[in-house]
Amino acid sequence: MKLTRSSNQAAKTEAKPLGMSRRQFLKTAGIATGGIAAASMLGTGMIRRAEAKTVSVPHDAPIEIKRTVCSACAVGCGLYAEVQNGVWTGHEPAFDHPFNAGGHCAKGAALRYHTHSDKRVKYPMKLEGGKWKKLSWEQAVSEIGDKMLKIREESGSDSVYFMGSAKFSNEAAYMYRKLAAMWGTNNVDHSARICHSTTVAGVANTWGYGAQTNSFNDIRNAKNIFLIGANPAEAHPVAMQHILTAKERGATITVADPRFSRTAAHAHVHLPLRPGTDIPLVYGLMWHIFENGWEDKEFIRQRVFGIEKIREEVKRWTPDEVENVTGVSKEAVYKAAKHMAEHKPGTVIWCMGGTQHTVGNANTRIYSILQLILGNMGIQGGGTNIFRGHDNVQGATDMGLLFDNLPGYYGVTTGAWQHWSRVWDLPFDEVKARFDARQYLGRDPMTTPGIPCSRWQDGVLEDKSKLAQKDNLRLAFFWGQSVNTETRQMEVRDALDKLETVVVVDPYPTIAGVLHRRTDGVYLLPAATVFEGEGSVNNSGRSAQWRQQVVEPMFDSKRDMEIMYLLAKHVGIADVWTKNIEVKNNRPVPESVMREYTRGMRSIGYTGWSPERIKAHTMNWGDFSNETLEAAGGVNKGETYGLPWPCWGLPEQKHPGTQILYRTGMNVNQGGGNFRARFGVEYQGESLLADGSFSKDADIQDGYPEFNADMLKQLGWWDELTEDEKKLAEGRTWSTDLGGGIVRVALAHNMVPYGNAKARCRVWTFPDEIPTHREPLYTPRRDLIAKYPTHDDMQVHRLPTLFKTIQDKVVADNLDKKYPLIMTSGRLVEYEGGGEESRSNPWLAELQQEMFVEINPADAADRGIRNGDTVWLEGAEGGRIRIKAMVTPRVNPGVTFMPYHFAGVMHGEDLQYPESGGISTKPYVVGESANTALTYGYDPVTQMQETKVSLCQIAKA
Amino acid sequence: MNNWFKILAAAVVLTMGIGLGQAATAEVAAAPAVQAAAELPQASDATLWAELKDGATGYTTSTSEFHNQPINTYDLRVLELRSDLLAPALMAALFGMILIFALFIMVNGISKLHHGFSGKLVYRWSKLDVSIHWLGAIPCLLLIITGLILLAGRFFFQPFVGEGVWAGMVYAAKQVHDVVAIPFMIGWALMTLMWAKNQLPKMYDVKWFMVMGGYINFGPFKNQHPDAGFANAGEKMWFWTFALFGLVISASGMLLLFPNLFEPSRTLSLIALILHGISAIIICAFSVVHIFMATVMSEGGMECMVSGYCDENWATQHHNLWFDEIKANGSLKYKE
Amino acid sequence: MATMKFLCDTKRCIECNGCVTACKNENDSALEWGIQRRRVVTINDGVPGEASISVACMHCSDAPCMAVCPANCFYKTDEGIVLHDKDTCIGCGYCLYACPFGAPQFPKKGAFGSRGKMDKCTFCAGGPEETFSEAEREKYGANRIAEGKLPMCAELCATKALLAGDAEIVSNIYRERVAYRGAENGAWK
Repeated sequence: MKLTRSSNQAAKTEAKPLGMSRRQFLKTAGIATGGIAAASMLGTGMIRRAEAKTVSVPHDAPIEIKRTVCSACAVGCGLYAEVQNGVWTGHEPAFDHPFNAGGHCAKGAALRYHTHSDKRVKYPMKLEGGKWKKLSWEQAVSEIGDKMLKIREESGSDSVYFMGSAKFSNEAAYMYRKLAAMWGTNNVDHSARICHSTTVAGVANTWGYGAQTNSFNDIRNAKNIFLIGANPAEAHPVAMQHILTAKERGATITVADPRFSRTAAHAHVHLPLRPGTDIPLVYGLMWHIFENGWEDKEFIRQRVFGIEKIREEVKRWTPDEVENVTGVSKEAVYKAAKHMAEHKPGTVIWCMGGTQHTVGNANTRIYSILQLILGNMGIQGGGTNIFRGHDNVQGATDMGLLFDNLPGYYGVTTGAWQHWSRVWDLPFDEVKARFDARQYLGRDPMTTPGIPCSRWQDGVLEDKSKLAQKDNLRLAFFWGQSVNTETRQMEVRDALDKLETVVVVDPYPTIAGVLHRRTDGVYLLPAATVFEGEGSVNNSGRSAQWRQQVVEPMFDSKRDMEIMYLLAKHVGIADVWTKNIEVKNNRPVPESVMREYTRGMRSIGYTGWSPERIKAHTMNWGDFSNETLEAAGGVNKGETYGLPWPCWGLPEQKHPGTQILYRTGMNVNQGGGNFRARFGVEYQGESLLADGSFSKDADIQDGYPEFNADMLKQLGWWDELTEDEKKLAEGRTWSTDLGGGIVRVALAHNMVPYGNAKARCRVWTFPDEIPTHREPLYTPRRDLIAKYPTHDDMQVHRLPTLFKTIQDKVVADNLDKKYPLIMTSGRLVEYEGGGEESRSNPWLAELQQEMFVEINPADAADRGIRNGDTVWLEGAEGGRIRIKAMVTPRVNPGVTFMPYHFAGVMHGEDLQYPESGGISTKPYVVGESANTALTYGYDPVTQMQETKVSLCQIAKA
Repeated sequence: MNNWFKILAAAVVLTMGIGLGQAATAEVAAAPAVQAAAELPQASDATLWAELKDGATGYTTSTSEFHNQPINTYDLRVLELRSDLLAPALMAALFGMILIFALFIMVNGISKLHHGFSGKLVYRWSKLDVSIHWLGAIPCLLLIITGLILLAGRFFFQPFVGEGVWAGMVYAAKQVHDVVAIPFMIGWALMTLMWAKNQLPKMYDVKWFMVMGGYINFGPFKNQHPDAGFANAGEKMWFWTFALFGLVISASGMLLLFPNLFEPSRTLSLIALILHGISAIIICAFSVVHIFMATVMSEGGMECMVSGYCDENWATQHHNLWFDEIKANGSLKYKE
Repeated sequence: MATMKFLCDTKRCIECNGCVTACKNENDSALEWGIQRRRVVTINDGVPGEASISVACMHCSDAPCMAVCPANCFYKTDEGIVLHDKDTCIGCGYCLYACPFGAPQFPKKGAFGSRGKMDKCTFCAGGPEETFSEAEREKYGANRIAEGKLPMCAELCATKALLAGDAEIVSNIYRERVAYRGAENGAWK
């Protein structure tokens, strides 16, 4: 975004000079501020209660080196933090780190600022009578805890909402999920809902696990790279290190994206599809693949179920129809398909461009099916490299910080609760008693997924008779999640107003703390940043790393697990919550937490992990190859960096981790595998098990179901279990056998505990059995609605969900005429997520000072808009935002694009941020949220929100 | 100071371009294959560098001046011109001219009033005229001295003073130069506008030049008294030179002084810098002559710009036509 | 003696601005809002042929800024790094006009050419003050060269597009890359 001089000036008045990094903050009476230098820019009158002294750290003060992991995305870049006198004074590149080799993007290179940003909330605060006042931790916890108990008394435990965070360590994520369980609700979720929930559902239902199948580093081995709905040059810049290496080694790159993105600039083929037409585009690619016999017939025969249905569907997607629906030229589609056929192995990469749709689950399935057809699964350089967005969103998802899961993707069925009750060493009945025992709309709260992160506002605003729970949400925790990333901001604002109590637990006030129009009942609890605590995090490629604590929590902030513990103690569940977990100084000890969840999360092979093993990897970055991720020598010899799950057996068995999922060319004990037998052994009389394909050295050289006690007995292997193992294994499956005997025996026979099945193209439990194109709710192509209509309205878990009603309204009210421009959204490299933290970092904020919309020169000319003009953008549901126009050919005519990181302005009006420690918490840069204009639309399977296709109109302001 | 510029052009290419040169060679060697229509063109390094060297601009997140242009190319000889020619030339214009004039006076002697002072003072300049003269003249002297420090100081003065003295000196020079530029420009503008009508060239000015204004005290020029009006031909030449180069120096100075007002390109700024220097040299040289003429050379000359009155004998000797004219039309005024 | 240079491999640069904030991170004590010693420029933005390049002071062998400076505040280190003395700088802006790369920057844009003291990339080599002193840090930023390290921007480059170091080594790395791309892959043309 090009900035005018005036806006530069405006920002300057807010800005403070840099140069506080080497200053030490001494806390006095629990209040500290960011030094005289910072305060002076804001006027001396504002440092009222600042009692802090600043002490300069001399250059030669002793340096302590801490290893930590960037918090900006899920690549998992390592860095060395230099700490002097307790201040994070230096950032040194970790050239020896296997993922990033010292490289960072703008966000990673600016991390050091986060800990000492004076925009942070410095102490617990409360909005009372329109004024922000300081509270002690004791008082804050007691007021919030009392309120929780009162609500449970009146409305049941489901009226408290636990919004969690992808910034949590694995341990904090696990404990947060467990906290919600002990409280007695499934109303717990985090940003994975609006990130890759459709991937997890779609991909897991295709071949077993819903995660990135290969690794960032393995992309180096690819010969063709197909990116669809992904822009790593901005969203995962360090991944480009591997992508460009592959390109230099001869890989061809195809980018399918409505914009000519920074990534497309490095591609050989660009497919500028109309937003929301991924399925037709991929069918169009398949059309050429089948037409020319480019599919991998042997792979399909052995390892793919239900391809006939796909072949049938592909027939209808002729090049003409694909061009008509997607807008991509026939030549380009053919060229991309040809590259896929001629350059093998090929990998597919996708991100939010694919997932955040009303057809998100089907999008992720069609991408997976494409790889199945090409035979690109389970090999080096192949796979589906699904890039996740936050530093620990993979871990938080694994930990079941989701409305529909317990840790390890066990779901919320009675069986899942029984398994976890055994892990927690609590009687199932006691756990069950914590939940609302009555049924609502025929659903049982304990076994019904909760209210999703994407729609908590509906949980507050919806008529309670339509909710599958006792009452509306009355108190919500916004714990490390910016709600400006959720669509329909006007409803979000109404919901914030209607909630009785809003509790923001975050280093910053976030938008939940300022968007409302309340005068009471908002609490801000200062959480420590990820660099002020320790614990493990999983990168997108399922590798775990251990973050060392860089500095002590700044100001009066506390680490997540301590805040949870204080709350748990106040509401009387601390003892059950930490029954077998060591607690020190009110903090559950991370190592101890890890030992509990690794014991329970058998389904995804966490059992091989231990704090010691993960730490040994992190402390020996240099031993792991940047090419293969494997350690050639040293204490971790032969292991893959971060022990990507599944890491079978016990830590002592030293399983090396599984870098590439479903890799039949390798022994399961070395990281091999095959597709998971997760959906039974047959469907409609056809076998679902693999046909003649198996992982290397397997004793049964064909498909087989998942292991359980009965199967061991049938195979005659039961007696290979020890007596102790037998006791625990009786009546169990591999994933619920807490003794681990079943898994041990399976591995001894070189067989995969989860069985050996085909991947399936048909998911008969989903609304669409095979991926089916459905026009977006707010489609600009009403002529296609008859042929490709959306779903009928349906009840999804606790909430009614609209589809047809909205699409009908678009036609009836001529919304497509009134709002003729397609509106889509995405990331900027400088900011992350809701942007509260990154916009409070002047090193980053300086680079992007204005919220803007990208508009094609033709559309701009029609509206008399020049580059840099201020415009009003109005969404199809009436949300109006005042932003800058960036006129660029990057977007096609008829398409507009906005970054979603901005907040702090609504309908052209600045929101009021509280002061904390005498300094305003207002970020250096604020702007309208794109989500104020974005509209209704949810995936029927996962409640993913639609942020990539809606309609809008733009006019000069 | 002499060698660096010779390889400057090559240097710029080299610095960027460890990328530039080699990339170009390697890329040209690989023959471009025919790409299918759907395939995106992969910009070659050679074309890219050619674009950059042509001064291509692009998008950047930086809001600093000129940051959207990676490379601004211009003729690097301007730097050489400035340091090797203009700097010594300005030194010469000041000290050289002083020296030459001093020698000339030693050889030639000054121009005396043949009949001595009459004691009768004739009105010649109004108070306003005197004021604007000094409004331009004093700043002009300061500008010459400070400008000399700014243009040539690093070559001629810095080696002889300590680092602290130099820093203070050049800093003070810049501050003074910036501030006095304003009165100078006002003075220049007023003088140019108010005095122009008396400075129009006449036929008798040619003769004035042919006898060197009568200031030469030997040979065929001796005791010549060419005709001159209110201003003689030499003064007219000085006036028009000053008017013209004063315009150039003011305009270029404004560009350099108020970049945020005019937003000149970098190349234009450099051109301004050069023009500023050239004008300074000319004005400086003429100023030296002018000062010598008025103070030392021409007896009774200085009085004009002190009181505004000149001696009657001075008027008849140096500006006979003007004196005749005011006598004839009755506008002759003596000092009371 | 080594001659220090930067080189940006445009085939690898993705405009992630990592180099820009790396510089902020390392030199924050000397910088202020609005001053970016390094920036990334993308030409042909948004159309095929788009390419990005990271630009800062190139530490020219025969630097125009040195030639044009009235105060003669620039000097060159033994490693060929062009540095300047902020105490001598008079803020005239001539170096900004002369620099082909737009490297010099001024904190102010006020009238009377009162731009303040010029700031530019130091190759993370500090300035004329005593090495590692508070004065050096506050006027010029880090001195990684004295610590035996290379500039932060290149060290943290996400894709290893930006290289810094001895001219010969840096150009060898680049030459190898170009040769590899040329030989291995026709698509790199």
